[in-house]
Amino acid sequence: MYIPITVDHIARVEGKGGIEIVTSDEGVKEVKLNIIEGPRFFEAITIGKKLEEALAIYPRVCSFCSASHKLTALESAEKAIGFTPRPEIQDLRELLYMGDTIESHALHLYLLVLPDYLGYSNPLAMVDKYKREIEYAMALKNIGSKIMDYLGSRAIHQENAVLGGFGKLPTKTQFEELKRELKEALPLAEYTVELFSKLEQYEEVTDDEMVHMAVKPRNDVYGIYGDYIKVSDGFEFPVEDYKKHIVEKVVEHSFAKHSFYKGRPFMVGAISRIVNNADLLYGKAKELYTQYKDLLRYNNCFANNFAQAIELVYFIERAIDIIDDTLAKWPVKERDEVELKDGFGVSITEAPRGLLVYALEVKDGRVNYADIITPTAMNLAIMERHVRMMAENHWQDDPERLKLLAEMTVRAYDPCISCSVHVVRL
Amino acid sequence: MSEKVRIGFYALTSCYGCQLQMAMMDEILHLLDKAEIECWFMVERDSDEDREVDIAFIEGSVSTQEEVELVKKIREKAKIVVAVGACATQGGVQSWGKDKELSELWKTVYGDAHVKFEPKMAEPVEKYIKVDYKLYGCPPEKKDFLYALGTFLVGSWPEDIDYPVCVECRLRGNPCILIEKGEPCLGPVTVAGCDARCPGFNVACIGCRGAVGYDVAWFDSLALEFKKKGLTKEEILERMKIFNAHNPKLEEMVNKIFEEGE
Repeated sequence: MYIPITVDHIARVEGKGGIEIVTSDEGVKEVKLNIIEGPRFFEAITIGKKLEEALAIYPRVCSFCSASHKLTALESAEKAIGFTPRPEIQDLRELLYMGDTIESHALHLYLLVLPDYLGYSNPLAMVDKYKREIEYAMALKNIGSKIMDYLGSRAIHQENAVLGGFGKLPTKTQFEELKRELKEALPLAEYTVELFSKLEQYEEVTDDEMVHMAVKPRNDVYGIYGDYIKVSDGFEFPVEDYKKHIVEKVVEHSFAKHSFYKGRPFMVGAISRIVNNADLLYGKAKELYTQYKDLLRYNNCFANNFAQAIELVYFIERAIDIIDDTLAKWPVKERDEVELKDGFGVSITEAPRGLLVYALEVKDGRVNYADIITPTAMNLAIMERHVRMMAENHWQDDPERLKLLAEMTVRAYDPCISCSVHVVRL
Repeated sequence: MSEKVRIGFYALTSCYGCQLQMAMMDEILHLLDKAEIECWFMVERDSDEDREVDIAFIEGSVSTQEEVELVKKIREKAKIVVAVGACATQGGVQSWGKDKELSELWKTVYGDAHVKFEPKMAEPVEKYIKVDYKLYGCPPEKKDFLYALGTFLVGSWPEDIDYPVCVECRLRGNPCILIEKGEPCLGPVTVAGCDARCPGFNVACIGCRGAVGYDVAWFDSLALEFKKKGLTKEEILERMKIFNAHNPKLEEMVNKIFEEGE
């Protein structure tokens, strides 16, 4: 009779999940990632509701990436009603999205991941010895938040992004302030890359069969929006075909739907974006990518942490460029009229944690069908696989060490458990 | 206070935004000298739901049987229980589906797939345990957290907000979205404290801070105004229920307007 090694509640991730590892004399028998949150039925709740009201609700799927949910839902809704936003509005939405990514990456790297490597149980306790790191974390987080405050109304659940554009745009002075602060944040992001280049990427989870999926960015600029999905095996497909290539299954033992591509688990996230689109990076991030290429490995999920550090630099520079473009066109009109025609639209964007799918059908101004697939739901299957690899290498170690390594593997994916929407507990 | 205050932050079913809001405050670092974190999984690996605490912050709605047990346990272990955010205080947006059968919601998301699970309809924390204090909002403002923590730390008690968003909206000098733009703004019935954040961006209030208490949320007067603007009863109820699905007076007050006629 063996007692399973369990982490009842994985700490320092978004949401409530657990890990269960069952071993015997021969080795690891079973590894389960348990999702322990009640279901919220977002798709079901919003069916039959007015489109604008449903759009206000979708960000509530997840706080760490609420802007991603809002903007992906908006794009899908606008495709459905046959509306195309002006290029300057599209740019500003991308800027808002980047605020979310900058904040999310800063939080994940410094507050959720770093404590494991420095031997702390919580990031706040690091402040005495690692004052600089905590200060940088706060400063990077704050510039991400400020972009969202000015463009989205707030950092969590942005109400200012609406059909047709924005309720109100920041003033020119506010844009200039953002630009100034982004410039100040750039060296902090570069320091983050240097810091994370020194952290171990565990060889135990090396997985040469890993496949990565990412959006093929529009206009050939590394970024968030696109109309095609790239897979690291060379395959590409239009976003509308997502159901053919991202197959969701209800897995009874896992309490949450798992996703498969060609019958196999796949990965999405910062490392997946770099694996697929590194040739589109530019500026300082491109230099750093070239310098640290060996650490950005396609076959190790721990490389995801480092990839986020590179992206911090990239998105800060990119955000500055977007502000420059916007100010060159100033004044910009905040909103265009939309007409709520019937239709169906699919949007897939790059949330901080990877691909986020929204498919909405609009009928008589109301949501008639909704399907959401989140990055964490896509990553659950491969996450479980890598926790298993970690367990197979350490099952005879002290259980406390195995628990920590298993948790660190999960944390490398930066999971967002509330996000997995269709989530149930046995 | 010489001893450190023992704090717990617990999540039920939610988006984790309330915790994120508190964790993201720069001021959180100043709290450390005065507080001991006994349980806060989002930031502290050494967390335990069984420890006694002085202040328990609870976010999320009660949506599973396990969560019912958890809130009861928290109540036993905590001196003060604070329900944080729209889910914990009002059942959250997941209560918006309250009018649909659970089985119908289930089928929409999971189809006929077999999962051995007993879901519950989302409920506010208050339905199961006594709550001492509430922080409103989706998410609450940082100043809501600072004010509550500040008063607790000096051994005092935060005052509840008993006036609507309109008060702050007027003070900011915003144009009235309801009267001037004719949009169904819920400012008149919604708890203030956000400095009329959304109307300040020209976006109508959707009521995320919940209805004002003390029987001064005049759903009926607002429904009459919406009715004059051409909204049907269903549209009005739907909008008011985004964040107030569990409000016991809402339906009755709106019905009254449509029964009486003008």
